[in-house]
Amino acid sequence: MDRTFASLAASAQSGDPAAAEALFSLLYAELHRLAKRELGRQQGQQQEHITLGATTLLHEAYMDMSERDGTTFPDRARFMGYAARVMRGLIIEHARHRRALKRGGGFEITSLQTDAEAAVVDAPALSRLSDALDELAALDTTLANIVDLKFFCGFSFAEIAAMQGVSVRTVQRNWEKARIYLHQALRADML
Amino acid sequence: MTEISRERWAVIARHLDAALDLPAGERAAWLASIAAQDEALAADLRRMLDEHEALERERFLEDELTAIRPDGPSPLAGTVLGAYTLFSEIGRGGMGTVWLARRTDGRFEGTAAIKLLNIALVGRAGEERFTREGNILASLTHPNIAHLVDAGVSATGQPYLVLEHVDGERIDRYCDARALDVEARLRLVLDVLDAVAHAHANLIVHRDIKPSNVLVRTDGRVKLLDFGIAKLLQPEAEPAPTVLTGEGATALTPEYAAPEQVTGGAITTATDVYALGVLIYVLLAGQHPAGEGLRSAADLVRSIVDRDPPPPSDVVTSPNTSVEVRAAAAVNRATTPDRLRLTLRGDLDTIVAKALKKDPAERYASVTALADDLRRYLRHEPISARPDTLRYRASRFVRRNRTAVALASIALLATIAGAVGTLVYAHSARAQRDFALRQLARADAINDLNTFVLMDAAPAGSTFTVNELLARARHIVERQHGEDEATRVNTLIAIGRQYWAQDEDAEAIEVLTEAHRLAQTLDDASMRARAQCALASALARTDAIRRAEPMVQAGLAVLPTTPEYLADRIFCLKCGTEIAQNRGAGDEAVARAEQALDLLRSAPFSSDIMELRLRMDVAESYRVAGNFPKAAAAFERAAGLLKALGRDDTQTAGTLFNNWALTLDLMGRPRDAEPIYRRGIEVSKADATERAVSPMLLLNYARVLENLGRPNEASDYAVRAYRKAAASHDEVIVTQALLMRNTIDRVRGDLAQSTADLDEVEPILRKKFPTDHPAIFAIVSGRALLAAARGDERGAMQLADQAVASLERTSPGSQRLALSLRLRADIELQFGRLDAAEADARKALDLLERATPPGLLTARVGKTALTLGRALAGQHRSAEARRALTLALTHLRDADGPDHPDVRQAASLLSSLQ
Repeated sequence: MDRTFASLAASAQSGDPAAAEALFSLLYAELHRLAKRELGRQQGQQQEHITLGATTLLHEAYMDMSERDGTTFPDRARFMGYAARVMRGLIIEHARHRRALKRGGGFEITSLQTDAEAAVVDAPALSRLSDALDELAALDTTLANIVDLKFFCGFSFAEIAAMQGVSVRTVQRNWEKARIYLHQALRADML
Repeated sequence: MTEISRERWAVIARHLDAALDLPAGERAAWLASIAAQDEALAADLRRMLDEHEALERERFLEDELTAIRPDGPSPLAGTVLGAYTLFSEIGRGGMGTVWLARRTDGRFEGTAAIKLLNIALVGRAGEERFTREGNILASLTHPNIAHLVDAGVSATGQPYLVLEHVDGERIDRYCDARALDVEARLRLVLDVLDAVAHAHANLIVHRDIKPSNVLVRTDGRVKLLDFGIAKLLQPEAEPAPTVLTGEGATALTPEYAAPEQVTGGAITTATDVYALGVLIYVLLAGQHPAGEGLRSAADLVRSIVDRDPPPPSDVVTSPNTSVEVRAAAAVNRATTPDRLRLTLRGDLDTIVAKALKKDPAERYASVTALADDLRRYLRHEPISARPDTLRYRASRFVRRNRTAVALASIALLATIAGAVGTLVYAHSARAQRDFALRQLARADAINDLNTFVLMDAAPAGSTFTVNELLARARHIVERQHGEDEATRVNTLIAIGRQYWAQDEDAEAIEVLTEAHRLAQTLDDASMRARAQCALASALARTDAIRRAEPMVQAGLAVLPTTPEYLADRIFCLKCGTEIAQNRGAGDEAVARAEQALDLLRSAPFSSDIMELRLRMDVAESYRVAGNFPKAAAAFERAAGLLKALGRDDTQTAGTLFNNWALTLDLMGRPRDAEPIYRRGIEVSKADATERAVSPMLLLNYARVLENLGRPNEASDYAVRAYRKAAASHDEVIVTQALLMRNTIDRVRGDLAQSTADLDEVEPILRKKFPTDHPAIFAIVSGRALLAAARGDERGAMQLADQAVASLERTSPGSQRLALSLRLRADIELQFGRLDAAEADARKALDLLERATPPGLLTARVGKTALTLGRALAGQHRSAEARRALTLALTHLRDADGPDHPDVRQAASLLSSLQ
């Protein structure tokens, strides 16, 4: 890993598409690795149901990568923003391929507040949602980011507010706006 | 909607913000007022708000994505592929899903396993080749190979393999479940080798041998799965994918990959020999050659490519292996760890080592040759593989024992006391046997010493403090003669560093001076540098601090730059970091600690303990450099590593918690710091008394209590810290305790005692530190505040000006300057100089806001805003004062807690203004 997250994030921010691409693959590889490790650990414990907290995963990715970089990231919120977007990709890809990452075991991504009876999400719907999110991100990155963090990664409003340094109410309002936008976009797609 | 422009969305979003904050009942009226101005906008908003209410009701996106489950009824059940019908999913792996299928063409009865391969792994262009090569594999028949019946691509483009269905258990689990002994395990392995040899004879390489591909049926027959499939999935035109790149990553298993698979070298039958070596290693030793636990891909690759694995016989009793794993490995092999070690030692070690050679040409020439040696072993005949030459072994020995060396030297020092362990030794390929053996002897000497001190010398049942144990250790070393002097130096350094870690500076210097004296008589650069650096670091905590820096630099200069001295360099850099910290040279300390970490990362060895300590040094150095947010983050990370290493109740943890909490306190977060200090005290206590708790920790706890507005408790802890420090003649703590007491006494109104404290401490600090040292700043500020408390306006202002001027010169823009400005503003406020107070407070607030990351609420911003608010209120500028006080309250409530006196003061002043 030649370039650190921090330097890639800076270049990506200033519009370097290669850096953005590299950043995405870097985070993807990282989350993938952590997911595998977590699954491995849980398999080692002979648990019947293997679950993986997206929130935990992101936190771990942050810790791991900041350790490797040897410094803290200038902006933790930015890290989480990127990582949450990558997480979305990971989840959707998973749903799409339904392919296990680890031999012999099922692979499951759940949020922390999982209840066992959770509904199965179908991949096409998720993909459409993701496309709509990308559109929204082009209009207003903050809104799209909140959806990534909350819906895909399971962060609470309070956590997101702390991360972004804004009030909980602001996050909640942004979430509501994002949801309105997404629903309209999805409905337009269906027509 | 999808075509909405950025500008349009900005307008809508702004209005939505307003609307969403309105109670639902008021939205209609609000929309009407919008409609009066912009009909179209109002229509859009109305639609969206209606939608919002509907979305609230159906909880759109609220909790839908709680789980993605691959299991559950699959639409694929019942699908017909050729002669087979899919029945139920029985597994999934990197390549795809595996289904149990029934033959349904009416010609034969029977079941098969059908592997549905991921389309991405084959690709449409590869379909023909896939079918062709599948047919070649189908020709491979052997009783121990799960037969590939057919390979094809369905009409919908889904590639699949029809395989003999094996109902069995993974070989490692099978062996463990039946507690098979080493011999029985080897007999199963021989069946595996037969199968692989047969395939090799047909020019088919497996490429992915691993326990999950070797099943044992209930009747005891071994079946090898997935022969050649890894190759089948590899596009012909492309070069062999390395294990860790691209999509190929999921197809192979890095844990069992040979070096050439990782580096992209040629895949041959030797690749399978290597994987079989790993398999045998795991079956014999109960763990992977790269060691226990899960590791990062990069780490794994490094270990596959660079590190010679320790012999299986070593790991089954190595202290490097966790107790549980050692015990389980022995029990699962129907033996004890020691007997298992004896069984594996010698021939089996040699056989496994030969199979696991990094260079394919050095491995067994064929699987048959490997099998022959195992058979010879079972028949108690001499094996063909030769142990490595002495020279090779000597260098390997040290590498292998590095961790053992580290562990031996910290057995006493870390497990019991958890302090600074001796560094492990690096070795280059040209390491010589003598050197290696000498290192080993040293490690053994420390090991023996530990054993002796802990087991033999300590009467059973009696408890000892660390210092008693250390005194005993020292006594023993002093009387031991006849062993080589370098070993004694090394042991003395270990003991001296331990004293140092216990804050027993006098003993540390005594022992390290002896080590240093002895080392000077030796022609051993490693020992000379270490002794010199360790002594320098100990001196840095005393009046002799000025001697420390040149000493450590000389120590570093003594060291040759060759790799075998890498560990010594890291050690000296660590000492240099400590010295820079004591000098208050934070940036230099950060640079040294980072350099040491870089070296450790590049080193051919790894030491989690050393990494932890260096990470703590980095964090501590950031703290000294005044970069508290970075320091706090680094401490948090180090605490994570500490926990991961299972050391969160050791003395190291006590130190870490102390330094972390101190950082938070200095950052202006006393409320966060307080519980971490308490954890630190709890961890260090060891028994019901505070005997083992460092006076520094007690003192720091006193400080946070004072910051939290609890002066009586603070005073209690400060006195305890003072007494402990005075008893152990720890001057640094004594002076700091006096400074602390000075503050507390002043706050409690005992001005005479406060003055006496300062009078006692000032000459000591003046002698020790340059005028720009924080300690001197503390003296000047203390005097200024005392003068103010006595009503001496002129004296107070003069001293406050002196503090500000000195800091403006030496550290402009620093938080310390902000503090001095705030203190001066408080004094100015006291004497009615409201304009000046306002100006200073504003300047201070400005500095702090620039230095404080957004979102961080700190006591120092809060306190400064409070001072500003008071200055403004005094000038009857109520609106501005209210703003400042509101800011103060926001910060203070969060950083100090709601009951803090400052919070009460700010709140009552604010309410008086409303």
